Amino acid sequence: MILRDNPVLTRELLVTLRSPRAFILQLLYICALGSLVYFYWPAGEGSAHQAKVAEARRLFDIFFLGQFFLVSLMAPTFAAGSITGEKERKTYELLLASPLRPGTILVGKLLSSLGYLVILIISSLPLMILCYLLGGLLLSEITRSYLVLILAAGTFGLLSIACSSYFRRTSSALVVSYLVILPLAVACVVLTRTDNVQVRDFVSIAVLPPWCLAAWSVLGILVNARLLRPPDVGSEGKDVIDEEEEMKYAIGVVIDRDLFPDKLFAPAKRTELMPDGTNPVLDKELRSEIFSQGTLMLRVVIQVSMLLSIPLMAVLLFLRSELSGYYVSYVLAFNLLVGPVFSSGSITQERERQTLSLLLTTLLKPGTIVLAKLLAALRVSTVLTFLLTEQMLLAYLLLPELRGRFWTLFLFLIIIAMTCLATSTIGLMCSALARRTSVAMVMTYLSLLLLFVLPMGLGWYLQGLNTVSKSRMAMLTVTSPFSAAMSVPMHTSRGDGWNIQNLPIDESVMIPITPKGFTPEIWLPVWAVFLLIYPPLCLVFFGITYLAFRWRWWRSGGLG
Amino acid sequence: MIEVQHFTKHYGDFIAVDDLSFTIGKGETFGFIGPNGAGKSTTIRFLATLLRPTSGEGHVAGFSVTSEPMAVRRVIGFMPDDFGVYDGMKVWEFLDFFAVAYEIPRSYRKKIIGEVLELLDLTHKRDDYVNGLSKGMKQRLCLAKTLVHDPPVLILDEPASGLDPRARLEMKALLNELRQMGKTILISSHILSELADFCTSIGIIERGKLLAAGSIREIQNQIRSHRVLKVRVLDESTDRAAELLRADSSIRMVEAYDHTLSAEFEGQDRDMARVLDRLIQSGITVQSFAEEPLSLEEVFMMITKGIVA
Repeated sequence: MILRDNPVLTRELLVTLRSPRAFILQLLYICALGSLVYFYWPAGEGSAHQAKVAEARRLFDIFFLGQFFLVSLMAPTFAAGSITGEKERKTYELLLASPLRPGTILVGKLLSSLGYLVILIISSLPLMILCYLLGGLLLSEITRSYLVLILAAGTFGLLSIACSSYFRRTSSALVVSYLVILPLAVACVVLTRTDNVQVRDFVSIAVLPPWCLAAWSVLGILVNARLLRPPDVGSEGKDVIDEEEEMKYAIGVVIDRDLFPDKLFAPAKRTELMPDGTNPVLDKELRSEIFSQGTLMLRVVIQVSMLLSIPLMAVLLFLRSELSGYYVSYVLAFNLLVGPVFSSGSITQERERQTLSLLLTTLLKPGTIVLAKLLAALRVSTVLTFLLTEQMLLAYLLLPELRGRFWTLFLFLIIIAMTCLATSTIGLMCSALARRTSVAMVMTYLSLLLLFVLPMGLGWYLQGLNTVSKSRMAMLTVTSPFSAAMSVPMHTSRGDGWNIQNLPIDESVMIPITPKGFTPEIWLPVWAVFLLIYPPLCLVFFGITYLAFRWRWWRSGGLG
Repeated sequence: MIEVQHFTKHYGDFIAVDDLSFTIGKGETFGFIGPNGAGKSTTIRFLATLLRPTSGEGHVAGFSVTSEPMAVRRVIGFMPDDFGVYDGMKVWEFLDFFAVAYEIPRSYRKKIIGEVLELLDLTHKRDDYVNGLSKGMKQRLCLAKTLVHDPPVLILDEPASGLDPRARLEMKALLNELRQMGKTILISSHILSELADFCTSIGIIERGKLLAAGSIREIQNQIRSHRVLKVRVLDESTDRAAELLRADSSIRMVEAYDHTLSAEFEGQDRDMARVLDRLIQSGITVQSFAEEPLSLEEVFMMITKGIVA
């Protein structure tokens, strides 16, 4: 029953595989990997064996990291909504009241969430074997890598399902899953890809499997217990989250809507009528809606991110201050994870909760509604992200080598603010284009990865080819805030002030913005180009959101 | 007040509504009835400016539904069949939200919210969270939200669906009160008996086509080949009364049971008066004499079964 004739598994697989999307995605995935091999395949018969070996290893590294990245990213996307989806569709009680054992449900959910991912991983195996043919790779090494991938998929999937069983909304489960998985994934990559072969093998074969199996058992028991005696099967009254009551039992961070800085992202509830001229949607979003599912998710997010920021601050800001860009990257990664949560569901949730037709028949203009949604999401995500910049301010105030270059702090803050704006606008745009929050959320994360992370990966890949000029590579990465943060000069002698003429042109972070042969030649650093292109880009995203909302929802109620 | 002209809506090859036309006068209560999937909600969503028609036009209070949606939204109060409420909001906050969305100044809002809560008997729930309310209370709250800008036209899609009998009766009383306030109401419902004594006119729709429209009596007369007379007399005169009725040219068939006579009548109202007069003149003690109305359920079943095409 658990594996054969598991109705949960059958249903989920039917739904997934019925649409051609699954097959199209697999085709695209194989095409992408195939083209990577095609372009990276060592040319000519005469190339030295040593070079072939090095390239095979590089290709193998790209394959492994790419797939590991895919697993870390996609496992929560598939699994974090598996139980919350049932809760949102109001089928949770039907499922629990059936004679199915919790174990059957859990296995069904896990296999259906990860089955497709595992198929994607396995379908890359023939391409991996091609790398093996180039020489320099051991079959055991390939097996070891795939073992790590499968273990990671299982662990991340189960972690996401555990989060899914604890939260009521997919968005909350997804973000908490990502926050827990992110440090685990980084640790896993560092330990299994280290240059020390002995450590690598020991971790992959002797440490990871027993630890993962132990984690699977613990998580399985926890989810099983929760499905057997669910404390959250909702009747009407249980939908109400009384914040005051919740705070009495809160562990760790407590959010007080009346105190600074909490009131910046969670303003106090109104005790009187709204003043005239208030945008009611903005007021509703900030004071009632965004944290209406309780503050548990938010508190977990703040706690985990603050906890992570402490060692990072010690290393990246205080011990090696020239690596401040990496700390900024951590802040940016936090925004990349958390920002979409507040924006990508803001329009789709109106539809899912069936409040859209109530809202659309009022006198509110589409621009007012969309702007309110953007401002609410932007405010919450920006304030939460900027909570992590306190550490930067501290470092700049305390360290003499940073104090002399305060302008770089402002630059970092502007890059972070611009990233907040980008994540919120893209999230909102996907929310106006998609019909379901889960789809909007995946669309948002994929778009952000495409803009923010993929250029960095491509840059890294092209670096290995040595065929593309540094400035061209820099040009490729201008859409990435990570690249912008890294391009802020932190390694030059201190006290050089805000004078770009005095800085030597480092081609790897400078882009010529004048046509070839044009004098005078003007070069701009990646961060400057990033800050120049994003305001109009965000305006375009907002424009698309407005038009999509106006034509898809406002004038047709989402039906026409 | 409401006018629909040749409204047609296609979803791909599927025709949801086909060339629908009807008119509802000011102060009328129009019951929109039809089986599931007949096109009621599509028509209602079109009138609520939430749906673009494939062809056709609609007017509410003189404003075009397709080209003046904002003006239409100002004069209608729309209650959809399935609706949700916002999380984490109290009842008064919910109403304040919609009052601001309908551009009601703050100085009037407090009074209006109080009045609407009073009218819908929700005053004691003012500080409760909306997502904690029962289904019946949520329906009332949605109706309260619909009334907050005092619209002259109410478009209510299944306002009583899913309610228990008590809540249904309360909802009916509320709607009666609104009718007496002079509102023009377009209401769709499955509970036909409730519409029968409440609506001034009805429209019956099936598979996207309007099969009949008008007052219930008009439709009854239109679909029924004969009327049924029910006469109750004192026991000693039952047989004599039956004979007299059979002798009348406007009466086709008479059945007698207990002290009641049921007669198929094929005449005008004047003929009916004549029959009663003849019975009385003949010394029969008539306890009651009335035409048996056709219930709305019977009308609906006859029309939608294709008995009357």
